Amino acid sequence: MDRNQLVKWLQAPAKMAHKYSLHAVYFCTGCGIIEVPPTITARWDAERFGVIPTATPRHANLFLITGYVSLKTLRAIIRTYEQMPEPKFSVGFGSCPINGGMYYDSYNTIKHLDRYMPIDGYIAGCMPRPEAIFVAVTHLWTLIDKDMADGYKRYRRYYAQYRANQERVLGRLEWPPLFPAGGDA
Amino acid sequence: MRILGFVISPLAALAVGIFFLGLTRRFMARTQWRYGPPLYQPLIDMLRFFTQKSVSHGAIFDLGVILSLAGSLVVVLFLPFGRICPLQGSGGLLVVLYLMLLAPLGLALSAGEAANPNSSIGISRMFALALGYEVPLLLIVLAAMTRYDTISIVEIVAAQRAAVPNLATFPLVLSGIAYLLILPALLGLRPFDVAQAPQEISSGPLAELGGRYLALAQIQNALSLFIGISLFVNLMWGGASNPLVFFLKMLVVFAFGLWISASFPRLRVEQAVRYLWRWPTLLAFVGLLLVVVIRR
Repeated sequence: MDRNQLVKWLQAPAKMAHKYSLHAVYFCTGCGIIEVPPTITARWDAERFGVIPTATPRHANLFLITGYVSLKTLRAIIRTYEQMPEPKFSVGFGSCPINGGMYYDSYNTIKHLDRYMPIDGYIAGCMPRPEAIFVAVTHLWTLIDKDMADGYKRYRRYYAQYRANQERVLGRLEWPPLFPAGGDA
Repeated sequence: MRILGFVISPLAALAVGIFFLGLTRRFMARTQWRYGPPLYQPLIDMLRFFTQKSVSHGAIFDLGVILSLAGSLVVVLFLPFGRICPLQGSGGLLVVLYLMLLAPLGLALSAGEAANPNSSIGISRMFALALGYEVPLLLIVLAAMTRYDTISIVEIVAAQRAAVPNLATFPLVLSGIAYLLILPALLGLRPFDVAQAPQEISSGPLAELGGRYLALAQIQNALSLFIGISLFVNLMWGGASNPLVFFLKMLVVFAFGLWISASFPRLRVEQAVRYLWRWPTLLAFVGLLLVVVIRR
């Protein structure tokens, strides 16, 4: 952790601020939300690293999707992600957002979440322990350092494809496209 | 020197307020046996908010946030911080009381433009709570003004410093206790954080503020912490001759507020108003009566 290195703060203040002020929206879809309360409270204390939960996507820059994603929640997840101010980072938590996990043959569950919105990283496991969230956060720091946590940029560039995928499973979406057609606004 | 005061006073208030924000998070963490974030975590957060893309919901949305911040900044100019007080000749307590309403009003304007139902609920709760603590606050300020026969805060501070502490200053003790009882409500701390309850109404009036709007709202929050505590130290605890002593006095008062805040769970709105209109109002009223009787 390089939070105390003043030189880095002077070189890239915005990047350092994004690293050490991760305010998270937890999307409590499945069993993954069980792991979050111990992470943010006295046992593991994520606030040491600047990670705190927020109640509204407007304040957040980290999006944790904790568990399986059904078609109904996908709609809400996309809206939440689009409401977050950029730069924003999203992390899939557990094996369900990766490939469906134990719901691999469910008719009503999304198997690959990164087809519908960009994901910057995954925490594998069923369930991952709270320590895994900290490992994910340190990995995210590395990615932000190297400018590789660019999910929000990918969302802009490939918005037409993402939107097409979303409409394919959800049918008609009741909100207008976030970016004008052609992407890269 | 006076021109310099216009610069120094808001900057000092900002520094103290942001320090208090960091202290709040640290204090809460230590109370819950956690380590907590570093003291400068609010600065990191604000830096991030400022560098994020922000969504505006219209002109009134922007202006409301700015109005609330400007209102708080102007109030700070009227409050002596040690000897620094740029606007000491004009208005005094009456203006402070009047301008203190600008901050919630600005937030209400911007929340109304955002049209988020959570914000609307938060705003209505905020004004219900303000209705609760304004009554005892007015009685307390009235007692102080009657006791020292002036509306100027600087003169009240000077009179307290001239007076030898004796039974004659006793009446204001009751008002002081009443002020301490409404302090968490005035600062929006835990037992009275009904307006910004994140678990119930997702941060209430702040729900739609993102990016630099949120940063401005945080700065306003820091200033409102400063205003609430500074008013107490000036009116009830004799102010101070230099900023450092003043800061230490503020720290003691704020530690008391944090202690209350860390000990009690959140009240419901009607419980909060019932409490505020019962004990603090009663104490403040008796304090005012005593002041009037002793003056006779």
